[in-house]
Amino acid sequence: MWGTNLRILGVVLGTLAVYTLIANAIPQVQSEVPRALTLGADVTPEQLVAAGQQVYEGGGGCTACHGLGTRAPNLLTDEGGMGPIGARCGRREPGKDCKQYLFESLDAPAAYVVTGYQPIMPVMTRQLSPQQIWAVVAFLESQGGTVDVSASDIPAPTAGPTAGASPGNAVGSLANGSTDPTAIINAAGCLGCHKLNGTGGAIGPDLTHLGARRRPESIRAKILDPASSIARGYEQVAGVMPKTFGTMLSAAQLEALVRFLAARQ
Amino acid sequence: MPGALLLVQAAVDSLPAYREFPGIGSRAAVWITAEVHLMFAAFVLGVPMFAVVAEAIGIFGKDERYDRLAKEFTRLLLVAYSATAIWGAMLTMALITLYPRFMSYLTAVFGPSMWLYAALFLFESFTLYLYYYGWERWKVGRAKWSHWGLGILLNVWGTIVMFIANSWLTFMMSPPASVTPDTSPTAIALWVAITNATWMPINVHRLIANVVFGGAIVAAYASYRFLAATSDEERAHYDWMGYVGNFIAIAALIVLPFAGYWLGREIYQYDQSMGITMMGGFMSWLWVIQAFLIAVLFLAGNYYLWVGMGRIPGAERFRPYTKWLLAVLVVGALVWGTPHTMIASSKEIAAMGGSHHPFLGVLGVMSAKNTAVNLMILTTFLSFLLYRRANKRPVVAWARTGTLVQGGMFAAAAGVVLFFGIRGYFVEAIVRIGYSVYQVGAVLACIVSVTVIDVMLSRGAESRGAIRWGKMPARSQYALFVLAVTFTWLMGLMGFARSGIRQHWHVWQVMRDTSQSAATPALGYAAQMISVCVLIFLALVGFVFWLGGLAEKSTFVSTGNGEGSHVGH
Repeated sequence: MWGTNLRILGVVLGTLAVYTLIANAIPQVQSEVPRALTLGADVTPEQLVAAGQQVYEGGGGCTACHGLGTRAPNLLTDEGGMGPIGARCGRREPGKDCKQYLFESLDAPAAYVVTGYQPIMPVMTRQLSPQQIWAVVAFLESQGGTVDVSASDIPAPTAGPTAGASPGNAVGSLANGSTDPTAIINAAGCLGCHKLNGTGGAIGPDLTHLGARRRPESIRAKILDPASSIARGYEQVAGVMPKTFGTMLSAAQLEALVRFLAARQ
Repeated sequence: MPGALLLVQAAVDSLPAYREFPGIGSRAAVWITAEVHLMFAAFVLGVPMFAVVAEAIGIFGKDERYDRLAKEFTRLLLVAYSATAIWGAMLTMALITLYPRFMSYLTAVFGPSMWLYAALFLFESFTLYLYYYGWERWKVGRAKWSHWGLGILLNVWGTIVMFIANSWLTFMMSPPASVTPDTSPTAIALWVAITNATWMPINVHRLIANVVFGGAIVAAYASYRFLAATSDEERAHYDWMGYVGNFIAIAALIVLPFAGYWLGREIYQYDQSMGITMMGGFMSWLWVIQAFLIAVLFLAGNYYLWVGMGRIPGAERFRPYTKWLLAVLVVGALVWGTPHTMIASSKEIAAMGGSHHPFLGVLGVMSAKNTAVNLMILTTFLSFLLYRRANKRPVVAWARTGTLVQGGMFAAAAGVVLFFGIRGYFVEAIVRIGYSVYQVGAVLACIVSVTVIDVMLSRGAESRGAIRWGKMPARSQYALFVLAVTFTWLMGLMGFARSGIRQHWHVWQVMRDTSQSAATPALGYAAQMISVCVLIFLALVGFVFWLGGLAEKSTFVSTGNGEGSHVGH
């Protein structure tokens, strides 16, 4: 009987050993936590680029999609004959320089989805601190372009949580606090996904006649809590609209926007 | 009173976020207690399901062997039950003491459901005691039906208990969209928190996986008793029990991938970035390991059936086909395990000549993998069908036509799987995903239709000779051990995948993990942890089974006529 027991033990331990060894023999990739980054007022572009590279290849998780060629555009290599991201970023959006484009595409990625790709990128300003975000912008600029991020772009670190702490997320900061609905819509990047009077993306519902479909209360609820209702036919993209507008818009801006959209009959 | 409440609130607010467990750290402590508890829980939830089914077969088929089998299953359950509760208590203590702030949050959301969980656990325990200790007392007539009802009730309690616990962990994965970091936990509606996006897919997936797991552990138990048997009769009884346990495990395993697809789809729909992390991010190699493990399961399960055909008169005529079945399984496993989209450095990308390997990249896509796994399922089903038909000679007039129709169904299902597998290379991804439904549908339709025909075909069939239960080489029993270890390890691996996709969040994008061990470890470390958990679990299972054996002998007793009747006291 002892022989049988030993053979069973051998089978069990042998099987466990094989699985453990195979799992240890393959490439080991750990999911890093985005580390707090402290950048002084005298930070150099080289330091920013090095810090950004660490975030890009580590805790930022960017390489899970960028560089694989199918889920997201290549950033470090050529994409569509336009060169790496630093070389092409200044030409992506009319009127936006490279730095502004890169920051906004990290802050509201759904508004800058490249043709041929799905709106799958998470809002990185909810994942990373402002310091990390600007370091990544510097790193991406360095890929074929000129680094013009400086210490003055980076807000002072706060003691609070990093999520939602980007400059673009401060209450009432959108469109410099303007209550002009058009300015708010442009600043919030709504047209990246929604059409308005024939302009804008087709990821979300057309807003041109929104007032005919939704009451003001429903529009307000939708802006504050995008999951409160999902328009028919858009179930596949539920969850894409950022949940952060409630903390980005002042009460006056929110009401101005609701009135404007409700009037689109 | 308000003053007292303020004091309590102040105490909660001043809780440290984390405490450190000496030696191995908090994460490892919670990992081990949670995993071992879950393994026992899966066993004590899976076994009652087929104990009740076995009892029903005994009642309706008037076959006392199945009634005895059900009782022996339940006896295993009884001794495993207290281990489940002990490890559950250890997990609770570990969470409360090591992650106090997180647990404060979770209890604020789920408090009432936790009280219900405890109450139902109590009901479940007493129902189990009644079910087991009343077996002989309520053995005949109407009392037997009431006893069977107790078994059903036991399953109802167990299932609700699991659904409640699942709501806690799925909330951590997929909190409702209305929950943000600023939402007070007390303001979250309990039912909204429970019915989160991944709750029901996990419920269904775990329900099936528990049956698989329970079957595998019972089969391993039977194989141990087989190897330790001192008489032919006893060996015959445990050979049969091992066969039934393995059959249940493999049959449920065939359905499990479909529940897995549903869960994966829900994860993608909830948050695509989470889905990508799971399938293509830092976890991408995990699925290659999973493919390897499932290949081992398919191969070991089929091997057991093929060896088992050696004890069936008439099975010799099917032996020449075995090598072809093996070839399909091996090729299928190789395709399924081919990596496609991996995190690669720029050097690696340059070495491959692109983001995908020029040859293997073609095999690594879902079109090829879905085709491979569906053909492996069909092959396993064919192995089982040959096993089932081995000692039968059909006598119905339409026997030849029926067999031809069955063959045609296999060919048609394989054709559909191959057609959509190849066509998938030429269409958009969104269309390709839909093709997997047609492939799965064809395989399931084949399994159901062929089984129905086979049951009708076997009516009144002549026997080529009785199955010589117990006449199995010892190596077949070691295959059952490999199956049990692999199922248990796979369960640990999938638990790591499910939990790991949250990365550094206790509650996805709501509550951050800011502890020292917030980083999600690589697969190598996870594998070591899983192996430790499996070893602890199997050692304890061995111990509690031995303990149970001390209290009561096996349900098998010799009838003295040398025929191995499988019945006992």
